[in-house]
Amino acid sequence: MDHIEESVKAYILKEFLPGEDPAELTDGTPLVTGGILDSLATLKLVSFLEEQYGIAVQAHEADVEHLDTIRDIAALVRSKL
Amino acid sequence: MQPVEGRIRLSAFVFIAAELGLLLLTLRQFQIESSALLRLSMLAFAGFAVHAFLPMRYRLPFFTVLSLAGILLVFGFAQGAWLIALGLVLIAICHLPIAFGARVLVLLGVGLVLAAQRANWLPAPWSLAVWPILGSMFMFRLIAYLYDLKHEKPEFSPWRVGSYFFLLPNVCFPLFPVVDYKNFRRSHYAADAYTTYQTGVDWMARGVLHLILYRVVYYYFTVPATEVKGPGDLAQFIVANFLLYLRVSGQFHFIIGLLCLFGFRLPETHHLYYLASSFTDFWRRINIYWKEFMQKIFYYPAFFRLKGWGTTGALVASTIFVFAATWLLHAYQWFWLRGSFLLTLPDASFWAILAVLVVINSLWEIRHGRQRRLKPAAPTAAGAVWLGVRTAGTFAAIALLWSLWTAESLAGWWGLMSEAVRPVALPASLVPTIMVAALAVATTPGGVAKVGAQRRGFSLGGRSTVIAVATLLLMALAGLPAVYTRLGTGVANFILSLRTGQLNRVDQAMMERGYYEDLVRVDRFNSQLWELYMNRPAVGWLDVQGSGLARFTGDFIQEELRPGFRSTTTFGAITTNRWGMRDRDYEQRPAPGTYRIALLGASSVMGWGVGDEETFEALLEAQLNAGRPGRHERYEILNLAVPGYQPPQQRVALDKALQFEPRAVYYVATGREASRSVDYLAEIVRKRIAIPYPVLADVTRRAGIAPTTEHSTAVRRLRPFRNEVLAWVYGDIAARCRERGVLPVLIFLPQLRGGEWEVETPDILKAARDAGFIVLDISDVYRGHDPTTLRLAEWDEHPNAAGHRLIAKRLHDSISSRTGELFADAGNSRPAR
Repeated sequence: MDHIEESVKAYILKEFLPGEDPAELTDGTPLVTGGILDSLATLKLVSFLEEQYGIAVQAHEADVEHLDTIRDIAALVRSKL
Repeated sequence: MQPVEGRIRLSAFVFIAAELGLLLLTLRQFQIESSALLRLSMLAFAGFAVHAFLPMRYRLPFFTVLSLAGILLVFGFAQGAWLIALGLVLIAICHLPIAFGARVLVLLGVGLVLAAQRANWLPAPWSLAVWPILGSMFMFRLIAYLYDLKHEKPEFSPWRVGSYFFLLPNVCFPLFPVVDYKNFRRSHYAADAYTTYQTGVDWMARGVLHLILYRVVYYYFTVPATEVKGPGDLAQFIVANFLLYLRVSGQFHFIIGLLCLFGFRLPETHHLYYLASSFTDFWRRINIYWKEFMQKIFYYPAFFRLKGWGTTGALVASTIFVFAATWLLHAYQWFWLRGSFLLTLPDASFWAILAVLVVINSLWEIRHGRQRRLKPAAPTAAGAVWLGVRTAGTFAAIALLWSLWTAESLAGWWGLMSEAVRPVALPASLVPTIMVAALAVATTPGGVAKVGAQRRGFSLGGRSTVIAVATLLLMALAGLPAVYTRLGTGVANFILSLRTGQLNRVDQAMMERGYYEDLVRVDRFNSQLWELYMNRPAVGWLDVQGSGLARFTGDFIQEELRPGFRSTTTFGAITTNRWGMRDRDYEQRPAPGTYRIALLGASSVMGWGVGDEETFEALLEAQLNAGRPGRHERYEILNLAVPGYQPPQQRVALDKALQFEPRAVYYVATGREASRSVDYLAEIVRKRIAIPYPVLADVTRRAGIAPTTEHSTAVRRLRPFRNEVLAWVYGDIAARCRERGVLPVLIFLPQLRGGEWEVETPDILKAARDAGFIVLDISDVYRGHDPTTLRLAEWDEHPNAAGHRLIAKRLHDSISSRTGELFADAGNSRPAR
């Protein structure tokens, strides 16, 4: 797993899924459609990504297409680096 | 061997087709929503049979053509063509070869012209019925589409865009989920074909079940605000009012389910919303498409713009912005559906309070987090209890807020809430209401998305498939007369009542009022009444005040017919004589040998919607003169009926009638006489009009109402006096007649359809007999006839010309069979003075 994926996964586990088994959260686990990232969590995650990687995420990118899995999130971050 | 992408095996297709057959049978047997929906569903299901086997590249074009055909099927060619043409113009503007901002400006300009037409400021050549559907197709979808055009720049596909805006089921549903264009594009065959189709059937079955449950609540458990007495009634009122939302969730499930049949694996629209455990949770579960739309177009853009304020500040401001926008967009939606803006204090209060609750809840979640899990946790007793408490609390709070939202006014709602402090008396129907609520909760789509995701390929044994088939079988069988008539009289009557979409007592009463008042609260989400009004032509329909037929008097009677009025309507001429009667001319004193009858009544008696020669009064007069049942030389019936007259006004009308020296006064009662009497007294007090009858004035004093008392509160306080008021009105009319040697006769003329209004009929007949009226009860006049053949229109249940002929004949028979009583004074030719 790449650094971005690891970092995003660690953040999600810490902020939104404390106490959950890390092995259960994979790169392909649905986050938005799975109910883990609701609107508040999405905004917190976006703030984290912007601070951590010095990128600017646009409002229209905060959607299921870009944030549904750790893989999607990492791809979004990479596209902006 | 696995089927190719988008294909299903023949066995799977046959299975789905069988399910759709059961669904069609249920739609037919229960007359779900409208006959147009049945026709559209037949088209859609037949279309599915073709679509499922087409090569993938032809499927979107086929779906688009099918959607356009659906519009023509429901609207007819001319109106359907207008709708399609208007839609194509709006879509074309989105793709003009000019800057994006300029296209938005052009759209706004065209939107303003259309709005002026919708408000009747400018003429429009298409039918009024086109507006709600045009509005529903474009008012929000254009916003979502433009947003995607700006940010995503999707490749233009005429078939995709056409199918997105003219979505097949939309033509039958003015209230339609706000489908997002990006989701729409991405969802097309995003999952295995069988999974998508079967999910569609599941959702449609669940939707139809919700619509049937809605009817149970609507017919049996709703309580008029004016009849709420004590905490038990209040609890039932609040719960039943909230449960009426089942209609929206039922419609939305059906709509999205139907789209699944064409490969659009769209997300669920509602998720166990009666089981929300917090206010943010409720906002996330109810009308999910709306939440997503607001989030995408308003919430995220606002938050990202305000990020500099810090997370908390940006979150609070964005949330308030979203709720303010929601409030305004509901008014905007109301405008396109109804043609007027809905900006009321209860509406504003509802959204403001919900905004505050959601903000507080969001801040709590940001600070303390929300429990999320990758897998369902093992249930614990303490956890279940805590969840139960939160869920019950949220349900109660939202139901209470909901009652505020649908209240006529803040004062009315507050007056209703004051019933909470009376001694507790639980109504018998509260427990069934709670049971229906539990059933509604049990049938909401728990984990449907997960069910869909887990289903892989055709399998008859899947849990949700079994539930869907069982639900369909149960509904289809229950709707068959051969089945339900064997379940006992009580059950059979109950199912029979659910098989038609009719107005309940509350809406029926509103409809009666609606002919004379400007209805401001034909309820927005749950009422069947506004759908009737939506179809009513804006112009050309008879309007008492607008036509100049009536004039104001400024006293207790408020208005009367204008003398010497003549107008030609779609239904024939309306003429009043020099005395202000809708009748031919008469001398004030009857000629010798004449048996004169003064006829009192309201709109049906005046002959609302029929020509001068077609009223039952005119027909009966001719029949009496032809048959001469009382052996008089001549018979005259003076039609003194005035639309909208209530029993207390008839007491005033009697004074006018007696000036014409009748031998008999025939008073026509049409139901709900007692309730309408106190409604009228409440109105008179509110308008500060003096009551000339001390008995009635005393009743208003004893009820404790004043001009400042909110209307529904005033009616609620007057209700206990309703039989007393009616007894006085009848008693005084009969006594005055007897004093003058005039025979008082009460004709009970039923409404076209049976219904809750009949509850008061025995009391009316008893009051009339006790008062000394001779009663001619013609309750059976419409028996054996299809009411739709005897009424003016779907939105106007006054008898048409055929109805009047039927009434005249029935009355003539009734009079002829009782000539001894009715013409006992045949030898006495002394007219009344």
